Amino acid sequence: MLLNIVKSTALVALASCILNAGEFNAQAEKDRIALIEYTVAKFKDAEKNRDNFFPYSTDDELKNNIKKDIKVEEFAMGNYAFSIQGQFSYNEIKDMPPYEELVEQGEELYNDNKAIQACFPDTTIAGDYPYFDQKRNEVISLTGAINECLVNAGQEKWNEKKGKMPILQAYFAAQSTEAEKKVNITIPTAEAAAAYERGKEYYYTQRGYLKLSCATCHVQGAGKRVRNESLSQFLGQTTHFPVYRLKWGKDKVANGLGTLERRMEGCIKDQGQVPPKTNSKQMKELLYFMAYMSNGMNVDGPDVRK
Amino acid sequence: MKKLYSVVATAGLALAISGCTTNTVSTPSFETLDEKQLCNVKSNGIENVLATAAKYNKIAKEHGVEFKRLGMTNTQYIDETNKSIKAGSDKVVLLDKKGKATKNSVSVEYATQRACKFAVSALILEAEGKKTWRTAVPGDGFKY
Repeated sequence: MLLNIVKSTALVALASCILNAGEFNAQAEKDRIALIEYTVAKFKDAEKNRDNFFPYSTDDELKNNIKKDIKVEEFAMGNYAFSIQGQFSYNEIKDMPPYEELVEQGEELYNDNKAIQACFPDTTIAGDYPYFDQKRNEVISLTGAINECLVNAGQEKWNEKKGKMPILQAYFAAQSTEAEKKVNITIPTAEAAAAYERGKEYYYTQRGYLKLSCATCHVQGAGKRVRNESLSQFLGQTTHFPVYRLKWGKDKVANGLGTLERRMEGCIKDQGQVPPKTNSKQMKELLYFMAYMSNGMNVDGPDVRK
Repeated sequence: MKKLYSVVATAGLALAISGCTTNTVSTPSFETLDEKQLCNVKSNGIENVLATAAKYNKIAKEHGVEFKRLGMTNTQYIDETNKSIKAGSDKVVLLDKKGKATKNSVSVEYATQRACKFAVSALILEAEGKKTWRTAVPGDGFKY
């Protein structure tokens, strides 16, 4: 009798696991689709949708600076997707992008380091990170994986924000872009889904002395103007990293390139809070959630931003 | 046997009650903190307010929600205020993002009050945020 109960319980548990196996990303998919629908609706016709989305923008801005009917794929360009004036400057910079020589340096870094070659035999992996490691039950970022690889080979860790780290990542991103890879983040287990949810909560929670969440600027605030800057939209926010920021590179070109962690650290400081460490669980789960929201979009890094 | 049952039941009940009580005590509701009252330098005195700042900022750090403004963490703010008081100065020199002294300063009274406000507000905001964050999620609490 007892044996029968144990057997049937095990069977029910197994069946439940099998049934749920493909559904760990169900909530994430709902979130992703809702974000796409919101972003597309917001930028369908800014002038016409003023009351809903842009109550404080001027007529001139809505008419002359925000594009209409933007395709989902275009949102990978950040605020240049909708900002007509911004796109003009962006296209000019892209004629001779300042990161080009850094991508070449990244290729040299790769070719000169046997350990990196062994850890990353495929260089078109930019869209696959961060991923959830089922054995370790944690999110692995590309930055963390590179440093772990170096340490395991007896080499020194690299700076997680600038220098060699984004330079190598720029090479991976360029290779992935050339291979027409797409962002491909998976949520394979319940633990991965929980990590995703924690990242989501972090993104949408107000924090710091300014009481801002990431979403205040990049979901509800996307397309609105802060001084002379149009705020970029969340959708497609991770597809193009590492980025070369003109602000970062003003003193030294090599410092212009930064990882996604560097950018997020800056954003969280701007909210008025001490940011989590770049390789902390909190930061990695935040990036995991953010990357999932760009799932299916083309990898198009490295790119340039103000 | 009956005695054994009653002992087990009593012990279970006691454990359950003590568990509930312990939980209530160990998770204070920061949302109900009265920041204006706690951080009032005039009524509480500078040293008490600074001690309040240090107490709540320690928790804010542990929770990963410490405030930072213009490159200066609240911990640095508290430390610099303490240094100024010990040195007998009425000014707190502000630091830049590398921790070096800038040309700017504020009064000890102002620095104390702000350090306390930042420490307490960080915890209030964290508690509120746990209830409100879903209202910003498209497809969840955010309607447009």
